[in-house]
Amino acid sequence: MNEGLVVFVRSIIGFFSLLIFAKILGKQQISQLTFFDYILGITIGSIGASLTTDLSSRSWPHWIGLFTWALLGYLTEYITMKWRYAAKLLEGEPTIVIMNGKIMEAALKKMKYRVSEIMELLRNKEVFDLVQVDFAIIEPNGEISILLKPEYQPLTAKDMHIQKASEGISTELIYDGILIEENLRQLNKDKAWIIDQLKQQGINDISEVFLATLNPAGSLYLDMYKDHMKKITDIGDYKGPY
Amino acid sequence: MRKFLIISIPIVTIAIFILIMLSGDFLKRPLGKADNIPESIQLIVNDIESEKWDAADEKTTQLEKTWVKIVRRVQFSSERDEINALSVNIARLHGAIWAKDKSGSLEELCEAYEHWDELGN
Repeated sequence: MNEGLVVFVRSIIGFFSLLIFAKILGKQQISQLTFFDYILGITIGSIGASLTTDLSSRSWPHWIGLFTWALLGYLTEYITMKWRYAAKLLEGEPTIVIMNGKIMEAALKKMKYRVSEIMELLRNKEVFDLVQVDFAIIEPNGEISILLKPEYQPLTAKDMHIQKASEGISTELIYDGILIEENLRQLNKDKAWIIDQLKQQGINDISEVFLATLNPAGSLYLDMYKDHMKKITDIGDYKGPY
Repeated sequence: MRKFLIISIPIVTIAIFILIMLSGDFLKRPLGKADNIPESIQLIVNDIESEKWDAADEKTTQLEKTWVKIVRRVQFSSERDEINALSVNIARLHGAIWAKDKSGSLEELCEAYEHWDELGN
């Protein structure tokens, strides 16, 4: 038995199976992890690793395990989307721990959080003074969401009665030296326009540009491969052999 | 067309993976005349029962070569321990035949057959 070759083939099977299942499970698995989602991810990864390297058993039972966990994760997601009560039961609910500036001791006790842990979460969000906090909510994924009291919130243009135009979202026009014509069309621009813009900046060819982005307000960002920076700031503190 | 490819490529990929993982039971079966393990084992059993030790030894060497060919096909869908155990059985069978040990030879052949049967299951 050529163990290296078998591990190679099983790695390919495990890798692409995990990739397909992760795509089907969707982005929720990555960005909004509850504690159980985190465990689900670890377990699926562990089964994938066994599928790859555990030659003492066939790959089929491991793959079935992988498929079953991914399927159950998908079904749980589906059920929580369709049935709100199931979502509350399986994923939990956000819990208010500070309301109108007052700490909700009963909620803390129910969630098994100490005040020191709440203070730590607040400091991680750059809030060092409880006086500033109006509401604080612990989300199902363990993160804290904070609403500061109005007098401590940053000023906005609305507070100053200033009208600001919407800038829209920047879209990539050139990436890695290649023009993305579809994005140009979406912004009602054409190739002649971008070439003209580049010439105005002293750039002769699209291939010289690493990245170019444009937003609907007309703000064009250009970055070339050759940045012509004479002195690059070195933030390291060790000169080293290389 | 793009949507069709986005859906069909993962499905075809998973189908190919399932075929590879379940291929052991199919691929261990004889594809030609020269790779029939159960038949080879039966022939060796016959020789040992008739105490034709030279013929049994020759057939065992042939069985070993056949087994090497089959391992290449079934290794992706079988347990390593089953494959190694069958290889060890063939090695011990050689020794039992040289020692003209009838009971030891038959034991190894029975165990080898069992391991072959378990391959891919």
